[in-house]
Amino acid sequence: MTPVVETRGLVKRYDGELAVAGIDLVVGPGEIYGLVGPNGAGKTTTMRILATLLAPTAGEAYVTGIPVTANPIEVRRRIGYMPDFYGVYDDLRVWEYLDFFGRCYGVPSARRGPMIGELLEIVALTDKRDAYVESLSRGMRQRLCLAHTLVHDPALLILDEPASGLDPRARVEMREILRELRGMGKTILVSSHILPELGEMCTGVAIIDHGRVLRSGTIAEIERSLRTAAVLRIDLLGDADAVQAATAWLGNDPRVSDVLPAETAGRDEVTSLEAAFDGPPDAQAAFLRDMIDAGHRVVGFRQATSDLEEIFLQVTGQHAEEAVA
Amino acid sequence: MTAATSSVGGRRRSALREFAAAVQTIMVKELRSRMRGRRAFIVLTAYLALLAFLAYGAYLVVAPLADRVADAGTGFEQANASAFIGRSIFAVLSVFQIVLVAVIAPAFTAGQISLEREKQTLDLLVSTPLRPGAIVVGKLATALAFVVLMILAAVPISAIVLMYGGAEVPNIVNQQIVLLTTAIGIGAIGIFASALTKRTQAATVVTYSIVIGCILGSAMLFGFWQSLAQRDDVLGLRTNGGAPEQIRYLNPMVAMLDVVAEVEQPGGTAFSRPLYRIFGLDLAVGIAREDEGVGPGEPFPAPAIDTRLAGYWWPRVAVSFLGVAAVLTVASMMLVVPTGIRWPFRSRAVPASEPGR
Repeated sequence: MTPVVETRGLVKRYDGELAVAGIDLVVGPGEIYGLVGPNGAGKTTTMRILATLLAPTAGEAYVTGIPVTANPIEVRRRIGYMPDFYGVYDDLRVWEYLDFFGRCYGVPSARRGPMIGELLEIVALTDKRDAYVESLSRGMRQRLCLAHTLVHDPALLILDEPASGLDPRARVEMREILRELRGMGKTILVSSHILPELGEMCTGVAIIDHGRVLRSGTIAEIERSLRTAAVLRIDLLGDADAVQAATAWLGNDPRVSDVLPAETAGRDEVTSLEAAFDGPPDAQAAFLRDMIDAGHRVVGFRQATSDLEEIFLQVTGQHAEEAVA
Repeated sequence: MTAATSSVGGRRRSALREFAAAVQTIMVKELRSRMRGRRAFIVLTAYLALLAFLAYGAYLVVAPLADRVADAGTGFEQANASAFIGRSIFAVLSVFQIVLVAVIAPAFTAGQISLEREKQTLDLLVSTPLRPGAIVVGKLATALAFVVLMILAAVPISAIVLMYGGAEVPNIVNQQIVLLTTAIGIGAIGIFASALTKRTQAATVVTYSIVIGCILGSAMLFGFWQSLAQRDDVLGLRTNGGAPEQIRYLNPMVAMLDVVAEVEQPGGTAFSRPLYRIFGLDLAVGIAREDEGVGPGEPFPAPAIDTRLAGYWWPRVAVSFLGVAAVLTVASMMLVVPTGIRWPFRSRAVPASEPGR
């Protein structure tokens, strides 16, 4: 199956400075793919190239197999693009705004009316149909802009920081809409420097810094590639002495490479420890049995999953170390 | 992946239809936001009221004089006195309309593209399949639609002249041609400045500077150049052939005075004479000089206005403005195209992997 987005060795140079330094991406149909990285990492430039607003200095980019530089018009018919900074036409009504973009994409007039109704429903702006865009709140404008990317029913949505500047509630709403869109079969390429909002949503991410992809894949894959040891989170019942004894026991076990300081787990008399453990799940089971046999009162035992933010810091940190070394 | 193959003619026709639809898209949107509210209504009403007031003012000044002349029986027939009124009104209306168009057209066009940039809506617009050419043409057409509405709405006021005589329908047609081509030319200059600069303020300054340069600058340059030529004539040097007439080809005032000169008696009127002096007292004489052999023997040619050659300038100015409009519209399209992506009319692009970087 043709990937919806494919870039090979994408390079963009502005006045001699590399904004994008050879990015390779492959995004399959139906994915929500996150581009994660700090400001100035090259996410926006990559997206603008895919949206046919910038020509790459070198490399190739394809949207549903169509080269973006050779056939931008066809590419534009297949993408909906929401820039990180954008304006809206204040003096139009909400339905006129969508009607205008419907016309821009050549949607026949008979289909525009019902389409506007459906889109407003998706982004929960139905009651604002006749309001002036001017009167909308920031979150509503963001949703309206998202709706405009959908007027021509594109296969791919390119959303640059769709949740930036939104309050927590509006973010949740935005996330719900994206989930709904994914349910509709859209492929979504989404960027963010705000990580938590992406983590649970994405089927894949690429961590980008200084114009390069440092890691890519599913979050689990990246996590696996980063870790030699899993972090086990162990909840213990008992007083300070018991915790100390357990810490000592863990420290003496050859399978544990590191023990992190204890913290209270929020429940009375329960303390959590984190231990870096090198071994597959059955070794973990054996380890748990040994620990219980040793008399430690374990009430919780699980592998700690790290969130995207942690992974990101780890990846960029590692990269910086490599650069120094 | 290309569309199904069809005949070249069919493809061209459908491309044309697509372009027209795209222009219409822009126009609908622009008109929705522009014509809503009272602004358009107020501007149009004020414009017409001003012109009507000017026409009445001209009548107030001229009518008693015409009456006196007619009564005194100095050879003026009553009909000639009436024509005198008509000519005066025509001259006043023509000159003020061209000034108003020169002031209004930039105001309506200079923000068209830079405002989209400032409000960050241009990215949304150019990431649609709309051709940049259609965006520019649609914006120019909408801006001009209103200016044209103003110009045409004022035709009945100019038509008052027909009651008095002195100027005929063809003169009004010429006047309209000059007004419309000027509006198109200046409108295109405004759009171009708007596409060129990042900010509307800068675009407005650039546009008005160019318009002032066209009207006053070219008149001054032409006058200066001619003066040098005259000096050389007087000194018997004959090294300077006079100013090239092309300097005036983008001067809408020259064109309009030329239209006015077509109806006026030799010498002009108290209203038009100073204008002829500023914008070339030799509106016609400049051409006549060589014919009449003004040379070293006649040091200071009489500043008489010879209207026999009237009608020479305005067609040239009109054609020049249309030409400039075409060139600047294409240039604006190029500026709206995302850098390095493609030529504004076709979807085929220059391959990105060009030699070099």
